[in-house]
Amino acid sequence: MKTTAATLKLNLGPQHPSTHGVLRLILELEGEKILSCEPDIGYLHRGMEKMAEGMTYVQYLPTVDRIDYLAGCFYSELFCKTVEKALDISLSQRVRTIRVVLLELNRISSHLLWIGAFLMDLGALSPFFYAMREREMILRYFEKLTGQRMMYNYFVFGGVRKDIDYLEDIEEIIKVLPKKIEDYEKIITDNPIFLTRTRGKGILEPETAFNNSITGVNLRASGVEYDLRKTDKLYEGFEFTPVVLDGKDAWARYKARVLELRESLKIVEQGVNILKDSEPLRQKLINPLTLKLPEGEYYSEIEAPRGLASLYIKSTGMDKPYRLKWRTGSYYAVNLLRRLLVGEYLNDAIAIAGSLDIILPEVDK
Amino acid sequence: MNIDELKKIVDGCELQENKICIKNDLHYVIEFLKNNYGLNLLKSITAIDLGEDVELLYNLFSVDDGENVVISIKVQNEAESVSDLFDSAKADENEIYDLFGINFTGNENLKRLYMPENWKGYPLRKDYVQDDTRLAWNENDRSNA
Amino acid sequence: MNYLYHLYMEFLAEHGIPELFGNITYYVIPFCIAAAAFLVVVLALVLAERKLLGWLTHRKGPNRVGLWGLLQTLADAFKLLIKENVTPDKADRFLFNLAPILVFIPVMTVIGIIPYSSEFTFVNTATNVILYLILVAFPILSVFLGGWASNNKYSLMGAARAIAQVLSYEVPITFVVLSVVTLASSMNMTGIIFAQYSRLGALGWFCFPCFIGFVIMFICVLAELNRCPFDLPEAESELICGYNTEYSGMRFAMFYLSEYGLLFANALFLSIMFLGGYLSPFGAYLSHIIWGDTVLASVMVYFEQAFWLILKASLIIFVIIWIRATLPRLASFDLLKFSWVYLLPLSILNLFIVVILKYLTGGAMCGLS
Repeated sequence: MKTTAATLKLNLGPQHPSTHGVLRLILELEGEKILSCEPDIGYLHRGMEKMAEGMTYVQYLPTVDRIDYLAGCFYSELFCKTVEKALDISLSQRVRTIRVVLLELNRISSHLLWIGAFLMDLGALSPFFYAMREREMILRYFEKLTGQRMMYNYFVFGGVRKDIDYLEDIEEIIKVLPKKIEDYEKIITDNPIFLTRTRGKGILEPETAFNNSITGVNLRASGVEYDLRKTDKLYEGFEFTPVVLDGKDAWARYKARVLELRESLKIVEQGVNILKDSEPLRQKLINPLTLKLPEGEYYSEIEAPRGLASLYIKSTGMDKPYRLKWRTGSYYAVNLLRRLLVGEYLNDAIAIAGSLDIILPEVDK
Repeated sequence: MNIDELKKIVDGCELQENKICIKNDLHYVIEFLKNNYGLNLLKSITAIDLGEDVELLYNLFSVDDGENVVISIKVQNEAESVSDLFDSAKADENEIYDLFGINFTGNENLKRLYMPENWKGYPLRKDYVQDDTRLAWNENDRSNA
Repeated sequence: MNYLYHLYMEFLAEHGIPELFGNITYYVIPFCIAAAAFLVVVLALVLAERKLLGWLTHRKGPNRVGLWGLLQTLADAFKLLIKENVTPDKADRFLFNLAPILVFIPVMTVIGIIPYSSEFTFVNTATNVILYLILVAFPILSVFLGGWASNNKYSLMGAARAIAQVLSYEVPITFVVLSVVTLASSMNMTGIIFAQYSRLGALGWFCFPCFIGFVIMFICVLAELNRCPFDLPEAESELICGYNTEYSGMRFAMFYLSEYGLLFANALFLSIMFLGGYLSPFGAYLSHIIWGDTVLASVMVYFEQAFWLILKASLIIFVIIWIRATLPRLASFDLLKFSWVYLLPLSILNLFIVVILKYLTGGAMCGLS
C-alpha cells in the first residue's frame, strides 16, 4: 500500500481491544477518515480442514466446537448432521428437540455476548456486564448438563451423549431473560448517543450483501427474509417468525439480534414443553470405532448465529474424510470490511466492524 | 433451473448426482446462471485435490426461490476467476490459492492468507508432506519475506 | 485568612525570624499541605470510582487488599512506583519525560487556589476565576506533548482529538463563567460564594438563575476531563489508550493522578460556581445551630464549610461516574458538532438571560443577605 505524506497507515490489531481476537486491519487514514482497508487474517489458523484428513470422524468430533467457541453447538450439530446424512440415520423426536433447545440456548448466549461486546466497542461499560450476567445463567446450565462451559461436545452421531436434564433451570432462564432483555432495550435501544453512533452507519444494501455472500442476521437486518431454520428439518414443528428489519444499518443489526433473542426464547420454550411431555431418551448409538462413511459427497447447512454455516465432506469409504470443507459466516463478513469501511471515520469503523459480529476462530478455522 | 438450456450453450456439460460438471468456460457459465436464473449468492467455493487435478465446486444459491446449484470443474493449476461477478469469490479464491496453489486468472489480490509469505507448498494438496525439509518453513528465510 | 496569617507572623516573631521569610513561606506551606492532601484525595477517588463502577455494573469492585479493598489503590500506586519506565526507541526522549511532569504542576496549583472554607483559602487573588480557567486548560498541552513525543500513531491521534475537544469546549465554558461573574459582580471565587449567600439557603445558589449555564458547564467539564461520554482522547476501543499508550510505570501514574486531580478540582469549581461552594444548604450553619454562639462553634464552622464543599463535589463526582457507567461514547465528529452547534449558542443565550435578569432585578439577584 502506498502512503503519501498526507495519509497515515495504521495497523488496527492484531492486539487491539476492539477487534475481538486477532484480526488485523491495515487502514490508510487521512486524518481520521479511512481511505482503504485491508484485512489480514490467519493469526488463529489451526488447520481444521487439514486436521480432519488425518483423523477419524469420532476423533474429529470434539474439535469442531472450537470453530466458534461462542456457539460450539452449531458446528457440532453441523458435523453430526452431515455424518448422519451420509449414514442415513434419522433422529427421534426427542433427540431433535434436545438439539434444538441447546442450539437456541447457545444462540442466545452468543448474541448476549455480542450485545455486550458491541456496546463495549461504543464505549458503554454496563451492558457488557449485564449481558455477561445473563449469559452466565446459560453457561451454568451447559456446565451442569455437559460438564463444559464452552466446548460442549454433547452431540454425537445419531443422538446426544446423554438425556437432557435440569429442565427447571431452562424454565428459570425463560422466565428471567425477557425482563432482562427489556432492561437492555431501556438503556441501549433509544439512547440518543447510541442512535447517533449506529443509525445510518455501515449501510449494507441487499445487493452488496448478496455479492459478498453475507448471510444470517446481517442479511436479515438488510430486509431480506432468508432464515435457514424455516426450511431446516430439525426445526420442523417449531413456531417462530424470522426477524427481518429494513434498516440496513448498524442499529438494525443490533435490533435484529435483540429481537432474535426473543424468538430463540420462544423456540426454547416450545422445546422444553415437548421435552417435559415426551418419554425419556432411548437411543442406540452406532459403534464409533467401526464408523466408515460410504463413498460420496455430503453437504449440509445450518443457520449459525453468525450466518450460514455449511460443511462439505468427500468420503472415499474410509474411516477418515478425504476432504472436509467448512463455510463460516464471519469469513465473508471480514472481507466485507474492505468495502464497508472505506470513507468512514475511525470511530464509526469500530462500530461498523463490531456490528457485523465477527469472531476470529470462525474466520481462520 | 433446467440443465438442457445450459447444455445448449456449453459443450460437455453433464449432470452428476447433485452437481453440474463442466469442462471449461467457467466464467461464462456462472455469469449466465447469475444473470438468467437469479443465482445471486455464491455460498462458497470448495476445492478438492483429486490427485492428477483439482476439482472446484461453486455453490450457487438464489435467495428469491431458494434454489441451490453446484457447478463442478476440474482444473490443473490455473482457473478462471469469478471475482468480478461475486465479491465474495475474492476471499474464496484467495483461500484456495493459499491452501491448494491454484492461480486464478483475473484475481489481482492473491496472496498467502493463513500461511506465512515464504511458506513452501500448499498444505491441502495430497502430495504435501509435512516433514519434508524442502517444504518446511525455514526460520532463516524470514528475512526474505 | 488574615487570622491565620497573623498567628503565623506572631509565631515567627516570637522566634526572631524575619518577616520577609514569613511573607514568602506563608504561601508555600499551604501548597505543601494541599499536595499531600491531594494525593490522599486522588487515591480515595480512584477507589471510589472503582467501587461505584463495580456496584453499578453488578460486580464487587476491589475487595481483596485491606478491609473491603480499601488499600487497593495504595497497592496499585506502589506497583506503579516499582514498575519499569519504558521509553520507546523512536520517542523524543526529552519531551516524553517532560510531559508527565508538566501535566502535574497546574493540577497541584489549582488545588491551592480553591477556597475550602472562609478561612482556608491558601492563595487568594482578586481574579482567581480567570487563574483557575488558565490552569485547568494547561494539562491539555502536556497531553499533546506526551502524545506527540511518544511517536505512536494512536497517541498522536489521541492527542489531536484532545486538542480539538478542549478547544471547542473551552469557549462555552468561558461564556458560562462570564455569566456567573456577571451575577456575582466578582471574579473571585470567595466573592462568588458570598454572592450566593441567602437566608433561604440553597435557593440563593446560582444553579437556579443560571440553570442552562449549569448544565452546559457540567457537560463541558465532562469533555474537559475526557470523561465518558467524551472520552475520545483515550477511547480504549479505538485508540488503545490514546495519548498515554506508550507510558508506563510512574509516568503513567502521573497522567492518571492528574486526571483524577482535575476531576476533583473541576467538581469543586462547579460546586463553587453554582452550588454555593462552602455555604450550608439550610442558610444557617449547623454548628451555629448546635453549639450556639460559642468559640467551639466558630471553630467548627470552618470544618463544616469544608464538609459542605466536599459533599457537593462528591455528589458531582458521583454523577460523573454514574454517567460513565451508563452512556456510550460519542463519535468525534458529533462531539465537535455538539459543542459548536448546541452548546455555544446556548451559552451565549444563557449570558443574555443572566444579564437581563440582573438588569431587571437591579443587582438584587446577588447578595440577598
